[in-house]
Amino acid sequence: MKILIVEDEPKTRDYLRKGLSEEGWIAEVASTGPEGLYLAQTGMYDAVILDVMLPGLDGFGLLQQLRKDCATPVIMLTARDQVDDRVRGLRGGADDYLVKPFSFLELLARLDLMVRRHQPQTTADLQIGDLHIDFIARRVTRQARRLSLTAKEFALLEVLARRRSHIVSKTAIAELVWDINFDTNTNVVEVAVKRLRAKLEQPGEEKLLHTVRGMGYTLEPRGEAVAE
Amino acid sequence: MMRTRSISLRLAIMFGLATALVSLIASVGLFMQQSAEFSRHSREELHGRYIIIARMAASNEGHGGWRRLTGKLADFEATDRGLHFVTDSRNPSFRFGTSLLAQAQFARANNGHDTIDFGGRTYSTFAGTIPAKQQRPETRLIIALDQEPLHQARRTLALGIIGTSLLTIIAVSGLGWWIARRGLEPADRLSTHAQRLGEGDLALRLPTDGLPSELEGLVLSFNDALGRLHQSHQKLSDFNADVAHELRTPLTNLIGETELALARERSRDELARVLRSNLEDLNRLRTIINDMLFLARADAGGIVSNLVLVDLAAECKRTTEFMEVLFEESETTVSIEGQATCCIERALFGRALANLLDNAIRHGAAKGPVLVRVETLDDEVAVSVTNSGPPIPESALPRIFDRFYCADPSRRSDGHTHGLGLAIVKAVARMHGGGVSAVNGVDNVTIGFTIARRIGVGAYQPARSGAQDAPSEVLLRGLSGKRHLARNGQRPARRLFDISHFHLRRKRASP
Repeated sequence: MKILIVEDEPKTRDYLRKGLSEEGWIAEVASTGPEGLYLAQTGMYDAVILDVMLPGLDGFGLLQQLRKDCATPVIMLTARDQVDDRVRGLRGGADDYLVKPFSFLELLARLDLMVRRHQPQTTADLQIGDLHIDFIARRVTRQARRLSLTAKEFALLEVLARRRSHIVSKTAIAELVWDINFDTNTNVVEVAVKRLRAKLEQPGEEKLLHTVRGMGYTLEPRGEAVAE
Repeated sequence: MMRTRSISLRLAIMFGLATALVSLIASVGLFMQQSAEFSRHSREELHGRYIIIARMAASNEGHGGWRRLTGKLADFEATDRGLHFVTDSRNPSFRFGTSLLAQAQFARANNGHDTIDFGGRTYSTFAGTIPAKQQRPETRLIIALDQEPLHQARRTLALGIIGTSLLTIIAVSGLGWWIARRGLEPADRLSTHAQRLGEGDLALRLPTDGLPSELEGLVLSFNDALGRLHQSHQKLSDFNADVAHELRTPLTNLIGETELALARERSRDELARVLRSNLEDLNRLRTIINDMLFLARADAGGIVSNLVLVDLAAECKRTTEFMEVLFEESETTVSIEGQATCCIERALFGRALANLLDNAIRHGAAKGPVLVRVETLDDEVAVSVTNSGPPIPESALPRIFDRFYCADPSRRSDGHTHGLGLAIVKAVARMHGGGVSAVNGVDNVTIGFTIARRIGVGAYQPARSGAQDAPSEVLLRGLSGKRHLARNGQRPARRLFDISHFHLRRKRASP
């Protein structure tokens, strides 16, 4: 997957490129509006990350030019979060926007959503270590042990399992599991993950559900056992 | 130019102008009346003399008598130089008087009063005919009285009136200025006091004792305004101190930990631990800054824009379901009662309610039930959360919605809250045209907010019934046309965080 990052702030540009490359994207960068427009029109990208404040040609102008002959999904970055800016960006053909300061995980989650929309992929079942999830029967088994999960616990596991080995942030979990799209300072997600983990990992079994401090959670086998 | 701004001077000028107008009217009236009186008096005098002379002339029938008469007339003229007698007759020997006067049109003139110009002077005349008697033919007698003394008297009168008026105007203006100065003395004193206000001590007020009643209201209102300013200044100072504390603490951690990590060679694990710790502090900073920006925009008059008509009980159910695990953890039951539909911005509403529920779980009695009540009032809907537990101290009750307010400072900064939760509830209520309330019950506390029902009139985009995601779809369709929905009919991109999309619109500050 190929992505173009149009951003004039060097630090932001560099960490975006580094982070996206590590996530398996082929990331290219442009630091001015005209350069970004030229690359976007000629480079056959799967997605574009576009900053609003750019030298030469601002994000709105670039998008307007780009949309004349190109439907590449565009996510806009803006430090201004007033609704007029957003409406302008979305009307101008942006597919999504992110307000600075944003977390890198949120950007990944959105890119994931944006790209998945183009290429829907559903799997009927998943095997993660010795954990088996059957999405159609909604059955979860660990070795021979059948896990009894509530609907929300299953939804939480599904969100983590479909993004296996990726860190999923708490806000993304709240959004995807509970359809809650506002900031809460509550520890709902922590408690819910704690409960899921208790059902998922019996003493002596391998740890699957990991907490990444300050970022979120990830589901993957790492070969660590839960202490007795 | 600045001088005319003085009230005293302006009053003096206005008094002067008023006096000038009044004296003008009075003087003109007086002058006209006096002038007419002078003329009447002059005519009466003329007529009186005519009667005497005419009677003397009428009794004369011969030349001898006539000569005596004219002799007397000559004497009269000699003593009073303004008086002239003319007699005219067919017989020249019965003629008398100044030839030029005689030449005047008296022969043709009518009898009675008249005015003539002669020798550069104006004369008032009276003419009559004395019937013939024996040798004397019919004779016309004309008496002319010089008007100069009359004019002189009029001029004197006019001068007198003008002089008196001028003196009056000057006197009234001066007195007016003095009276105004005296009358405005309390205002001067107030201004002296006012100059001393604000010099470091915001608690100073204008003195109210001994004030005239006209100024009392103004001063009381001014003092009230000062009081409110003082209070908000105080709140702002407290707020700044709280913000400084909330922001400085994580910043100090960040700088210190990073410096420490870089000071020596560290293992990969040690560096990763520092980065994770830093990330926690950075996220904390981000939350505080976002919340404060949200509150600042709400203060600046931000109001909601993406209103949808929803069933509030269903919205409450959605939020309580989200927080279900927290209720289970604290072994608390939650129930929702009541019914209402209203236009709201769902994300803001959810955020406010989540804050209230979180507050109820955090501060309510362990295992005590929590009740969410939805009510329709006259022109508002009310949403309240009741938790059992000890009442909030009465003194703290009005302040719980203040930013960073914490009734028990020891509970500050337990990782999840930073004292903005209820302030955000208040901001959300205000953005929806409503307000907040906090009431102590016997063994419970009810905290709630209201939403104006009118706020959504004509503004909402109705959601399709039964479709949970419908409002978001409607919202996005409103924003970007059909593109989002056209894609395989899938769910449009949902925003994962930052719920604060609303118009920045200047609104009249509500009292």
